[in-house]
Amino acid sequence: MTIDREKAIEQLSQIRVRGNAEGLIPAFGVLVNQFPTEFWNSFSLKILNEAGEALRDDAAGLLENAAGECGYHTGWGIINSDEFKSIIGPMIDPKTPLEDTLRGAYAVFTAWGWAKAEIVELEPGEKMVVRAYDYYEADTAKPADTAKKPLAFMIKGVSRAFMDIAYGDKPYPDGHGTFKCEQTKGIELGDAFGEFVVTRA
Amino acid sequence: MYPAARKKGADYVTVEFKATQHFQPEKARQYINDASSVFHCHHYATLITQLADDAKSFRGPELLAQAAEEFAFRELSKYFEKNGITEPRERIEVAESYCGFVGLGSIRLELHGAGGAAEMRHSHVDEGWVKKWGKRDNPVNYIGQGFIAGACEAVTNAKLGSFAVREEQSIVCGQPASKFTISATRQGAQA
Repeated sequence: MTIDREKAIEQLSQIRVRGNAEGLIPAFGVLVNQFPTEFWNSFSLKILNEAGEALRDDAAGLLENAAGECGYHTGWGIINSDEFKSIIGPMIDPKTPLEDTLRGAYAVFTAWGWAKAEIVELEPGEKMVVRAYDYYEADTAKPADTAKKPLAFMIKGVSRAFMDIAYGDKPYPDGHGTFKCEQTKGIELGDAFGEFVVTRA
Repeated sequence: MYPAARKKGADYVTVEFKATQHFQPEKARQYINDASSVFHCHHYATLITQLADDAKSFRGPELLAQAAEEFAFRELSKYFEKNGITEPRERIEVAESYCGFVGLGSIRLELHGAGGAAEMRHSHVDEGWVKKWGKRDNPVNYIGQGFIAGACEAVTNAKLGSFAVREEQSIVCGQPASKFTISATRQGAQA
């Protein structure tokens, strides 16, 4: 069996959380928040604008790094969660567990509102190409006023982190940083979709 | 002073933030009421906060607080209008409830005409920071500060930027609760 993406997204997208009596959302081994996407976009743009040309790449790298750690630690928590095991687990082919787990992780990525993203090319242990057909990080760029540089730092960071989890040089939690990611296309750049190429660092 | 009284009684009903959540498959977006929303973890929030803190030379903490102020103001103002909530006491309770709903923490707000105070007994930013890196010497809850300012502006129908919030003590520094002072800015005083 392989991942039934539509079915997985349909089921995963129905999972709801809310703060407990302490106003916190403990889940997947971390504390979760569910802020509006506009908050995250707003801060990214503010900090990039304020950084200016000289420090723009440094700020962008730190935005990606935040997503990389998020994807590595929370991604690990998600693929080991009861929710993932009950919905994605039965779809995983024992012959291709890592590949199917990765594809399942992108079903989560899609269902929980990060990006409508899927793997379009996977060379196990070496390379992954992801396409995102809609993502909140592109919301800040209007069609007539596209960004000059890519803005999907979250998808970049999480994508390389997912490869770190699956094929890192060392198993979790010591394999972070095995892979790097380049964003080669972006809706915010005027392309029809975002494209992310993950290769060994 | 808002709220005028918080005493529990037979006729006292706490007003809570109520959310309609749905997934839009065409865009793959999750919505809380009509706001596109997304799960993020304390690793992400902590590193974004660290980025803001590292960027003090170009107003990083202020920018992060501003982004939070804008979202609290926008979402709460829309909610109050849509649900016909006009009483300050009820608005404050909704703001407190919304803070917990999105996982930012448990908060109590008190507002006077020109300012007020807030207390957080639990905080996503502080507890996330401590989980990731341990305690630190200085407050770092810029998201919480911004949220409080935006909530106060929405509660009082003031403009963005009308309130300034200062974190006086903090869970991240080892205190049992984070405490904030709220004061009207020059812009707020003139409004």
